[in-house]
Amino acid sequence: MFQHSKKVASAALFGLMASAVMTTASHAEETIKVGILHSLSGTMAISETTLKDVMLMLIEEQNKKGGLLGKQLEPVVVDPASDWPLFAEKARELLEVHEVAAVFGNWTSVSRKSVLPVFEELNGILFYPVQYEGEESQRNVFYTGAAPNQQAIPAVDYLLENEEVERWVLAGTDYVYPRTTNKILEAYLKAKGVADEDILINYTPFGHSDWQTIVSDIKAFGTAGKKTAVVSTINGDANVPFYKELANQGISAEDIPVVAFSVGEEELAGLDTEPLVGHLAAWNYFQSVDTEINAEFIETWKAFIGDEDRVTNDPMEAHYIGFNMWVKAVEKAGTTDVDTVIDEIIGVAVPNLSGGYSAMMPNHHITKPVLIGEIQEDGQFDIVAETDGLVAGDAWSDFLPESAKLISDWRKPFSCGNFNVETGQCGGSATN
Amino acid sequence: MRQLRKLAVAVLLSFLAAVASTGHGKASDTSLEATISALASAKLKDRGNHIEALAATGDAQVVPFLEALAAGDVYFKKSDKTVFITRKAEGGLQLLDPLSLEEGEVVGSRSLKKVKVNNKLRRLVRGAVAGLTVQSHDAGTRLEAANALYKSQDLEALPLLKAAVAAETDETVKDAQERAIAAITLKNVKASEAERLEALGKFKAQGDQEALALVSSFLPQAKTAAESEAAALAIQSIEKSLAMWDAVENVWYGLSLGSVLLLAAIGLAITFGVMGVINMAHGEMVMLGAYTTFVVQEVIRKSFPGFFEFSLLFALPLAFLVAGGVGLAMERGIIRFLYGRPLETLLATWGVSLILQQAVRTIFGPTNKEVGNPDWMSGAFEIGGLALTANRLWILVFALVVFVVLLMVLKRTHFGLQMRAVTQNRRMAASMGIRTPWVDARTFALGSGIAGMAGVALSQISNVSPNLGQTYIIDSFMVVVFGGVGNLWGTLVGAMTLGVANKFLEPYAGAVLAKILVLVFIILFIQKKPRGLFALKGRAVDL
Amino acid sequence: MISRYLFQALDKRAFWVAVALMVFAVLVPLLNLVVPDGHPLHVPDYLVGLLGKYLCYAMLALALDLVWGYCGILSLGHGAFFALGGYAMGMYLMRQIGDRGVYANPVLPDFMVFLNWEKLPWFWYGFDQFWFAMVMVVVVPAVLAFVLGWLAFRSRVTGVYLSIITQAMTYALLLAFFRNDMGFGGNNGLTDFKDILGFSLQSSGTRAVLFALSALALAGTLVLCSLIVRSKLGKVMIAVRDAESRTRFLGYRVEHVKLFAFVLSAMIAGLAGALYVPQVGIINPGEFAPANSIDVVIWTAVGGRGTLIGPIIGAFLVSGGKSYFTAAFPDLWLFALGGLFVIVTLFMPKGVIGLLGQLKGLASKMPRKNADKPLPAKPEAAE
Repeated sequence: MFQHSKKVASAALFGLMASAVMTTASHAEETIKVGILHSLSGTMAISETTLKDVMLMLIEEQNKKGGLLGKQLEPVVVDPASDWPLFAEKARELLEVHEVAAVFGNWTSVSRKSVLPVFEELNGILFYPVQYEGEESQRNVFYTGAAPNQQAIPAVDYLLENEEVERWVLAGTDYVYPRTTNKILEAYLKAKGVADEDILINYTPFGHSDWQTIVSDIKAFGTAGKKTAVVSTINGDANVPFYKELANQGISAEDIPVVAFSVGEEELAGLDTEPLVGHLAAWNYFQSVDTEINAEFIETWKAFIGDEDRVTNDPMEAHYIGFNMWVKAVEKAGTTDVDTVIDEIIGVAVPNLSGGYSAMMPNHHITKPVLIGEIQEDGQFDIVAETDGLVAGDAWSDFLPESAKLISDWRKPFSCGNFNVETGQCGGSATN
Repeated sequence: MRQLRKLAVAVLLSFLAAVASTGHGKASDTSLEATISALASAKLKDRGNHIEALAATGDAQVVPFLEALAAGDVYFKKSDKTVFITRKAEGGLQLLDPLSLEEGEVVGSRSLKKVKVNNKLRRLVRGAVAGLTVQSHDAGTRLEAANALYKSQDLEALPLLKAAVAAETDETVKDAQERAIAAITLKNVKASEAERLEALGKFKAQGDQEALALVSSFLPQAKTAAESEAAALAIQSIEKSLAMWDAVENVWYGLSLGSVLLLAAIGLAITFGVMGVINMAHGEMVMLGAYTTFVVQEVIRKSFPGFFEFSLLFALPLAFLVAGGVGLAMERGIIRFLYGRPLETLLATWGVSLILQQAVRTIFGPTNKEVGNPDWMSGAFEIGGLALTANRLWILVFALVVFVVLLMVLKRTHFGLQMRAVTQNRRMAASMGIRTPWVDARTFALGSGIAGMAGVALSQISNVSPNLGQTYIIDSFMVVVFGGVGNLWGTLVGAMTLGVANKFLEPYAGAVLAKILVLVFIILFIQKKPRGLFALKGRAVDL
Repeated sequence: MISRYLFQALDKRAFWVAVALMVFAVLVPLLNLVVPDGHPLHVPDYLVGLLGKYLCYAMLALALDLVWGYCGILSLGHGAFFALGGYAMGMYLMRQIGDRGVYANPVLPDFMVFLNWEKLPWFWYGFDQFWFAMVMVVVVPAVLAFVLGWLAFRSRVTGVYLSIITQAMTYALLLAFFRNDMGFGGNNGLTDFKDILGFSLQSSGTRAVLFALSALALAGTLVLCSLIVRSKLGKVMIAVRDAESRTRFLGYRVEHVKLFAFVLSAMIAGLAGALYVPQVGIINPGEFAPANSIDVVIWTAVGGRGTLIGPIIGAFLVSGGKSYFTAAFPDLWLFALGGLFVIVTLFMPKGVIGLLGQLKGLASKMPRKNADKPLPAKPEAAE
């Protein structure tokens, strides 16, 4: 009896091990493997599945062009199932078992935090494509999404100048990205002379669905006789009920505009956008960007996914940039060796989809234009403002006292992610 | 800018005279066209001046153009910069002449560039159009114009409005116009003290949030002591009435949240409460209902666009059938083998829920689907100081109707009688000749079908995604258990209590803490009443 | 001596599994560290981490089985005890980072610096001491279990009501730990750990030791549970499970028995959590998610509840399956997992362990006919 059960268990385990070993052995030499670490099930699948698809498309396109270093690229897709510790396990599997040359993945901050030690230990490369809270610069990670200074601050500037907003509601989901962004914005607004009582900060839980009270609070806050705007860092799922409630309570963009940092074309696809016309979003890319290269990208995407109605969005562009940067760096280095690529990729510039070039900075963030868009009836954004030039991502915000002292530069021999200019020391974890 | 405005006023007034005397005035088409093309080629920032210039012509001919501009339907050709209003058409966009509205060719959207506007310009256009249509023939348009001017508080519109109000015959429109005049008066530096005091009195009586906004922005600009005193008094009185309405508002929000909970839980009250199946796939039944609504709307949009208003009515029975059918299959295929082992139904139904989620994800994709609100489900109306949103109200009504119908089915029909007999004493019921397996199957299908119908309603306020069910499942179980397993009234009272409690806590504790406190309350409450709010007596309930 | 005593006192199967686990505890680290890379017997780091994680899950499943399988308390909130143990360990590991955090603050963890906290909140005191953290690993879950159990069992909350309040508990904790104001790192939780007792968490050696400790802890738990369920107390527990009222009428203090089992189970879960955290490198509120607790129930059910080995097998099978399927069939694995649960409940009402019994029974009864085809379980009559 006991032996039976033992056998079942061990058979299962060895099956696992064997299959893992075999897959590595059989393909090792012919291809270069690229890991894709995006949730395909669970709560984050809604956003991340698209990114998996766009990676598959980019890899396919690259292979059509003859691959990389004369070899074909082979995508390795795994599903970390929106489960944060599973992210770490899968990252380890990609690096150790499949020996991928680079990983493209993650969406939430917590999933990135969860895989960081793995990438550090096994010396891998991760391209992270989503706008995030900053306050991080790690040797093995390249942040192709926006840092707060590439999204939030230009958006607030736009509202200050164009809408002459004097009263601010900072509404967000209670997690680290909104907390940081709101902290930075609060400091920034106060520096611009906004009084304490003209800032209302509000946090809600994940997936909050009953917005009646909060929307009516916003409405009440907006009746003080000063122009009011909402800066929304509300996360994913909670947005649809939030906007629906706004529309129903009759708050139009002309009365109280809402500028969001987490709402893009993909999120709007699940919404009736007619009542939302004029609400804003700040991103580094919109599908409506009118350039040849973008039209081509959209066309390829629609053909690849086989659906005319699918949209493109900012994190997809981030992957596009990140992937091309990696390809270029590998070509430059002539090898996929991690250490060499990490050194070579700094300074690499590739075309972005808005008609310019994005470059990898020494702090592992990239330069991007910042675009402000207004929601249109068709679920697209009209770009109403654009920063004059490219904005370089700032890993350590200047508006938070502790982080203002830190700088990051991964060029040799400096190689430090959090150099404290006051003490003159490279402090803490990111040193390798 | 200032001069331009002055000019505009002068022009406007002269045209007003012309309008009054001849009935219609017309600026030369060429000058209009020139302004329009200047507007199109100007930078976003400078477009405002051109809009003002167009408005200043006072020519009603520009109204369609301005409206199209605000709606984002104005484009110019990339090749020769000619400006058009466009309409969606087969193969691209149908071009219309901006003034004569003559139909031109249909071109692909790549050769056109949109004349963009932002909120600020849209506000400007709204004000301009209102100024031009304040004396329109159509009462509805006049009302809209008056309301728009109330919002834009455009000083230049004051003479227009005063002329309009004198000629107005319709009472509602007149009210709106007077309100707009009062709002502009507060802004008007030249207004007399008497005029302002009258306006303040008007807003004090109006007593809503908009009035508060107007009066409080007026307060610092008050010129005389009497004015500031009147304003302060008005603010005080408005705030007092708003505070009173606040409590009413909280009750309403609570009931509305309660109705959502009730809808989510009521199907579970049958499958779990009455049958004792720990149905973890309940949320997915709700999800199936929501996706049915999506499919129905897609079909209607593609084939019968005229019926969109009725889409939910079509979706309701279909959702009932789809979810009920899946429920029936589940009962026949899986659950019937598990009666008497309630905890194992948890495992099996959890498996089913994973499969259903993934199936929907495979078929419809992982992203949110757009389910539109028909007009009767959109917007809000006011009762006193309370703004009721239409969709919440309908959901509350719908939840109560479902509840009553279900209660009737259980209490008054033959099937209901059999159902209660089977749940109370299965063997006895079987000995009396009731085909218990069929009753089980139909009961489960009923519970699932109702969950499907709830999905139709919830699609109106929430995400339609494969995760939809997961967001409601825990709350549903809490409601059923809190109310007392096996008792529909318990579910009703439980849902409403939790909803209202949550909404009364939220202003003090914040949304997150309120929810935690409600959960702690449930835990403690169960200690006091280990069988929920309305405990069934007898042995039948021993799960 | 002791082993002979154990051999007699324990269920035979449990004894052998415990021995196997101890062998495992030594063998796997050896194969990982000593046998050179590339050798067919070499166990890669990846597998050590994975198996270590499963061992912690198995311990959690065993803890649940003690209350569910032997005492009839279906807890849908065991993940909460696991997570609390994990947090206690995580807090120790956070304090160990010291001034190596990104902001180089010697006392405050990074997330507090970044939220502008001036000083360490009181509940973080003491966690720089390993012994204190280890005490808290079991004490915090035990206290929570005691309070909840004391309230619930005294008021005779049973069955599904109890299940739902345990679910409410873990859900409330999930929401609470999400809040950044709570001082536990909000949604990101605690991460970026450096070392434990001075040993780097990134070295294979430390990981091998953690693996061995997990295996030994599981073996120890197994022995402990086996001793308990075979003792007189264990018999009363089973009596409570099968007929609570009757046991009460016989004069046993049912609520005391249940409380004992519940608190002990929570302590084991806490310990499992504490071993889990240094191996996966992160603890965050996601561990409190009700779905995680349901997963634990499923491991136990799949393996076979009411047996001590079942939960261990279940935890290994289901999580192993998840690890494998999420990589092999990333788009379809939920179908496989969901299907597995349905099939297990329908055809293996007693889990994998039960299935082995069924097969054996079949084999002896009908040696020739359809020996390898499992019969569908007969629907049991309603109670």
